[in-house]
Amino acid sequence: MTAYLTRRVGQALAVVVGVMILTFILIHMEPGSAARSILGFRATAARVAIFNNTYGLNEPLYKQFGTYLDQLVHGNFGISYYYQQPVSSLIAQRLPKDIVLVGLSTVLALLIAIPLGIYQAVDRNRISDNLLTGATFTLYAMPTFFVALLLIGLLAVQTHVFPPVAPQNQTVGGMLADPRALVLPVVTLALVTLAGYSRYMRSSVIDTLAQDYLRVVRAKGLPERLVLSRHVLRNSILPVITVVGLSVPNIVGGAVITEDIFNYQGMGQLYYGAAVQHDFPILLGATFIVGIATVVGNLAADIAYGILDPRIRHAGG
Amino acid sequence: MLRRRIVRAAAAALAALALIATAAACSGSNSSSANTQKQGGTVSIAWNATPNFIFPFSPAANTDGYNLNLYWMLWPNLTFPGVGAQSIASPQESLWSSITWSNGDKTFTMVLKPWKWSDGQPITSRDFTFVYNLLKVGYTNWNEYQQGGFPTDVTSVSTPNEHTVVVNLNRSYNPAFYTDNLLTLIPLLPQHAWDKESASGPVGNFDETTAGAKAVFAFLQKEGGDLATFATNPLWKVVDGPYTLSQFQANGTYTYTANKYYSGPKVHMSKVVNLFYSTDTAELDSLRAGGTIGTGSLPLNDLQQAGLLKSEGYSVVPDPLAAFASIEPNLYNAKAGPVLSQLYVRQAFEDLIDRPELVSKVFSADADPGNGPIPLTFGSLVSPLEKAGGPYPYSPSKAVALLKAHGWNVVPNGVTTCTSPGTGPTDCGAGISAGEQLSFQLAYSSGTSTFDEEMAAIQSWDEQAGIKITLKSEPFNTLAGTVGVCTASSHPASTCGWQLVYFGYTPYNLFPTGLGNFNTGGFENLGGYSNPALDNLINATDYTASTSAFYQYEDYTAEQLPQLWIPDQDIVMVYKSDIGGFAPFNPFSGGINPEDWYYGS
Repeated sequence: MTAYLTRRVGQALAVVVGVMILTFILIHMEPGSAARSILGFRATAARVAIFNNTYGLNEPLYKQFGTYLDQLVHGNFGISYYYQQPVSSLIAQRLPKDIVLVGLSTVLALLIAIPLGIYQAVDRNRISDNLLTGATFTLYAMPTFFVALLLIGLLAVQTHVFPPVAPQNQTVGGMLADPRALVLPVVTLALVTLAGYSRYMRSSVIDTLAQDYLRVVRAKGLPERLVLSRHVLRNSILPVITVVGLSVPNIVGGAVITEDIFNYQGMGQLYYGAAVQHDFPILLGATFIVGIATVVGNLAADIAYGILDPRIRHAGG
Repeated sequence: MLRRRIVRAAAAALAALALIATAAACSGSNSSSANTQKQGGTVSIAWNATPNFIFPFSPAANTDGYNLNLYWMLWPNLTFPGVGAQSIASPQESLWSSITWSNGDKTFTMVLKPWKWSDGQPITSRDFTFVYNLLKVGYTNWNEYQQGGFPTDVTSVSTPNEHTVVVNLNRSYNPAFYTDNLLTLIPLLPQHAWDKESASGPVGNFDETTAGAKAVFAFLQKEGGDLATFATNPLWKVVDGPYTLSQFQANGTYTYTANKYYSGPKVHMSKVVNLFYSTDTAELDSLRAGGTIGTGSLPLNDLQQAGLLKSEGYSVVPDPLAAFASIEPNLYNAKAGPVLSQLYVRQAFEDLIDRPELVSKVFSADADPGNGPIPLTFGSLVSPLEKAGGPYPYSPSKAVALLKAHGWNVVPNGVTTCTSPGTGPTDCGAGISAGEQLSFQLAYSSGTSTFDEEMAAIQSWDEQAGIKITLKSEPFNTLAGTVGVCTASSHPASTCGWQLVYFGYTPYNLFPTGLGNFNTGGFENLGGYSNPALDNLINATDYTASTSAFYQYEDYTAEQLPQLWIPDQDIVMVYKSDIGGFAPFNPFSGGINPEDWYYGS
């Protein structure tokens, strides 16, 4: 297991460094200058020069990258051109909000999708299965913005049950103190993701139900409820774990569309705004965090695999 | 989503807020129910960007226009622009009671009102000298500095008494230009509280030496960027505006509480909550849900929602802006520059723009006609020529004739080409070779449907004279990143590759000077237009007080077309119908004046 982990961590680090280099190059290949994008087209040459000098943009690219790496190893992501704040502060303000939003929605989606997938697999090809399949496919096919606007139209504008915007409090505690305002963004994200989870679950359970060992378990007289919860669930959940692991970057990358519609000031908004404004330090900082989250998510999924299925662990050395 | 003083960086977004035929028809002006002015109450305002600096003199590298929104309520500028829809300095809200000019308009004597700071200390002329001393050493790192303007045009400042300031300038000025333009950029600052070099240091007269002033300026700029302490730093608690900042969140939500010691007109709203909305969609959803927003603006793309907003208790009103809209030609683009430099070509372009049709069909009558550089909001400063429709009424036949008369083979719905190169009166002009086509790229900000319609209409009209326009829409920031100021001496391909560009509108201060926009080397003169005669006329308006001089400048500019005039759409304001004091809209302050608002009975 140690060798397996060591190898995986090494690969993960290489991926992160590769992502950083690639992102740095791509960002600086963008047409137009950051100075003009931030200062506006009426900026005088003198002001552009001050800006470039302030942020080291007049240095050769390799020097800028070197400076950036040097800052990074010292835990400094730089200063945002637009917000004029340390990028680490901006990320620290927003990341917990996304952990709340995407975390809650993922948990909600899993709580619905896993039992749903099992139920559909057990009841497969019957009317209930077909109806639920139709419903989940419908959700799967609906763009996030459409689900969000539908919910807002129905539950906020028409009936005034929930507010149309997310909590505006800056702290996670303050946000959680306004749970009504969290409902629509969380439900929106849960609805568009649960379809995928439930389909994975359904397929996996169907495969598991065809295994010989389940006949043995049933022949021993184990009640069906326990067969499903003890044997089928554990063996069927691996694909879902993979998908959840892959969704970890979403937690730190944010959900751009959902955040925009519900005025949820998370990482997605930060990243999108930075892309529009040529705010390189935020783009690099956020990409770095997402890169880390991606490899950590994958790593976590691999480890969970190993725990749940010892054969994988052993095969991996 | 609103801005107090609209800067061009938001033009694309804000220009999306005008045009509202149905809304105009179905909305009232101000609520007639708001006759009795209640004391107290909270109003919320929706904004679409966040301030990030609180010290009124933000650094040169910080161009967040929303900072002005934040600090204007705390430290208003010497001249408050506009009284309702009138283009005059507000006698109630300006910080001076009189300004007298003398010495051939090279000296002005300003008497400050006997107002007080929020800590009870009197506002004095020393506060003015404090500002002057700071800017004298720090103007190069001051975002709002205008080349040659305050403080570099000041030769000396004296303070004969506690409330009087005498300022000697290095040249004569048009008093209206100075009072209504430069003094709208300068607040008073509390010397008795801010004249210190560090947070723990004593307050002194440090600004009276160059080194001390530099240290104070640097200290205040450093503190001014610390978002976490905006609402708690003792420095920022001393204000002379109608409100104090009671809460600030880094996400852009901040709250004002009425300044009990405000010496100006009575403030009714006890609390003003500024809410940040990242998108129009989120703001509109809040409005539709009858949420907490007291006032915001309606994107033009969502005008059909006006009826629903009315049912939620809002008034929806289109309001004109103190701005002009134009398409800017790049006279130094390697390919298009020589062609666009020809006045007759620009005249042909203008002849092909049916401005009344744009106003009527695209903007549903809610737009300034764009007959020249001065919008109708400026009333008496609008010349008879502009009022009559400007020098270039729509005339495709005139455009065709102009081109033919200058050696072009006009091919309607095709591409017109030059057949007579040369510099004679019937030739195409300098730098234009035989076979050169009238074909241009017109770049504009994406995301606004009225922009799309307007540009498509212009593209279509130009085809009548064989002028081929290729439209290219890009996000505002992307466009801004590739469009720079191009001049004869500097027009690098990286920022001067554009040919025609339309960003939205260009705002004016209270005095609509051409300085910066149309003069040689002006910081807004993107295409490098240079005309010594126009420079002289601009100087005449800024340096001498004469209406006829202004009209002369205005008409000459309208005729010479340093930019192609097009209509400027109104902004559509949405506000709770029980808020009084909202109308008439003040286009010179951006219309967001919660100090004037109140709830009616």
